[in-house]
Amino acid sequence: MRKYLFIYKSEIMSELQYVFNILIGFIGYVIILFIFLNLWKYIYNDPNELINGYNMNQMIWYVIITEILWSSLGGRKLCRKICDDVRGGNIAYNINKPYSYIGYSLFSHLGSATIRGILYIILGMILGFIFLGSFPNLNILSILAVLLSGILATVISTLLIIFIGLLAFIIEDSNPFYWLYSKAMLVLGTIFPIEYFPKVMQPILKYSPIYVVSYGPAKLFVEFSWTNFITIIFWQLIYILIAYGLCTILYKKGVKNLNVNGG
Amino acid sequence: MAIIEVKKLSKNFKVKVKEKGLKNSLKAIIKPKYKIVRAVKNISFEVEKGEMIAFIGPNGAGKSTTIKMLTGILYPNNGSIKVLGIDPQKERKKLAYEIGTVFGQKEQLWTHLTPYDNFKFFGAIYDIPESRVEKKIEELKMLFELDDFINTPVRNLSLGQRIRCEIVASLIHEPKILFLDEPTIGLDPVVKENIRTLIKRMNKEYKTTVFLTSHDVSDIEKLCKRVIIINNGQVVLDDTMENLKYHYLNKKIVDAKMKERVNLDDEDGITILKDKGYNLKIEVDIQKRSVADALKLLNPDNIIDINISNVPLEDIISDIYKKEGKE
Repeated sequence: MRKYLFIYKSEIMSELQYVFNILIGFIGYVIILFIFLNLWKYIYNDPNELINGYNMNQMIWYVIITEILWSSLGGRKLCRKICDDVRGGNIAYNINKPYSYIGYSLFSHLGSATIRGILYIILGMILGFIFLGSFPNLNILSILAVLLSGILATVISTLLIIFIGLLAFIIEDSNPFYWLYSKAMLVLGTIFPIEYFPKVMQPILKYSPIYVVSYGPAKLFVEFSWTNFITIIFWQLIYILIAYGLCTILYKKGVKNLNVNGG
Repeated sequence: MAIIEVKKLSKNFKVKVKEKGLKNSLKAIIKPKYKIVRAVKNISFEVEKGEMIAFIGPNGAGKSTTIKMLTGILYPNNGSIKVLGIDPQKERKKLAYEIGTVFGQKEQLWTHLTPYDNFKFFGAIYDIPESRVEKKIEELKMLFELDDFINTPVRNLSLGQRIRCEIVASLIHEPKILFLDEPTIGLDPVVKENIRTLIKRMNKEYKTTVFLTSHDVSDIEKLCKRVIIINNGQVVLDDTMENLKYHYLNKKIVDAKMKERVNLDDEDGITILKDKGYNLKIEVDIQKRSVADALKLLNPDNIIDINISNVPLEDIISDIYKKEGKE
């Protein structure tokens, strides 16, 4: 485990060189929040009115949290890197090192996501407080519980994106799959909570990755309950096992057929 | 005792073939065509402990493919490999702790970190205790003369400095075998010479077995005692460096730019390859004439520019084929 923590630490040290690039990404984040703030203010006649179980403040906090999770992930860069590693043969140079490529990709990506996550959490909380004037009712313990759920959500997202990237072993370019994944996440997981979708879709969404990577931590933040926390963490752990298993199977199969010509 | 044993090793690649034109490109989507490229064909050799062996051949000869199979990166189609008694494909991780690799064309260092942080990183991934890593870094820093730039981010280093750091990174875990795949590619002659000296020093100091690939004969001339030449995926020569020098590296090419025209004819030990008035290219058989002799014939005061090089590897290979009646 020490080596993976070192990979994580090295990536943090490396990512610190790009802090200003992250700050530029803040502009997009502020614009999105501003749009949704106005949208929900327009939809809600009364801020205390409940639509599908959420009042206006809860809806805005929901988007703030899901956007923090999505923006700090930096999934496109990860997918492109894995895809390029497979297509360009760079993956070969990781094979003969005493670590697992999946573990390496996971921990190095978590390193960069940590820096982005910290910065986006600070920004999100400041913006939320400025826009809404208050925080949801959370104590220290529940904040830590939400944080844990957010970390596990990022681990699952990272593993799912590694899986998409590794699809390059089968098809030449896996980036279009990432495009589909990101659009599905945006529409189904970031903007609206599961309760907003038609009743027939809700059970499907509850068993989909959206529940564990986006809805779960955001729901806990806006309406915390320990029962919900246990259910969400349970499914997150199950998803980590599934996603890691899928990545391992795909990687092992792909590496056997790896073609790396010349130098 | 053989530290590397390779028996009847072969590797084929399945390569997509795309024919010319839009029509054929559309056809390729529905019915892709592939061809089989035989990169390595039935090669066998052994390497002894502490040896410094050169594995040379022109581009596309199968050098890198072989090194990748030896290090567990690629799976062979046929044949067997044992490196330190380990099958690289079956026990890749176990082998990783015992070997070091440097691929001249691929960076393994983190470019935003300093060499020092990189070495610490490599120490951690090879599970070496912190105190031992520090000691090793200190030792290798002296040996490879890294003092001036050990705390400069890798992205700001010159290519020569980076290659030195790449080699040090692959030595942190004290490997028994070091695989160097074209470590001097893209370097200027002075830096190349410097890297060669350092590799030699390292081999002397740690008795590490060195398996070096290159397509540059001069790269290995001063480094290795044994040489394997590979061409079209087959071993064409496995001999001592001494024999190679005696039989095939006995000629030097002198390329000179002259102030005045020189009238020179073929004579014993000297062959005129090209004579374009002021530009002259001659081949000197150093068993018969010294290069200094040849220069005297040209008159050193008359020389504006000069380049003395070995016979190209391709010519040596064709010479080997001719001598062995393979062609």
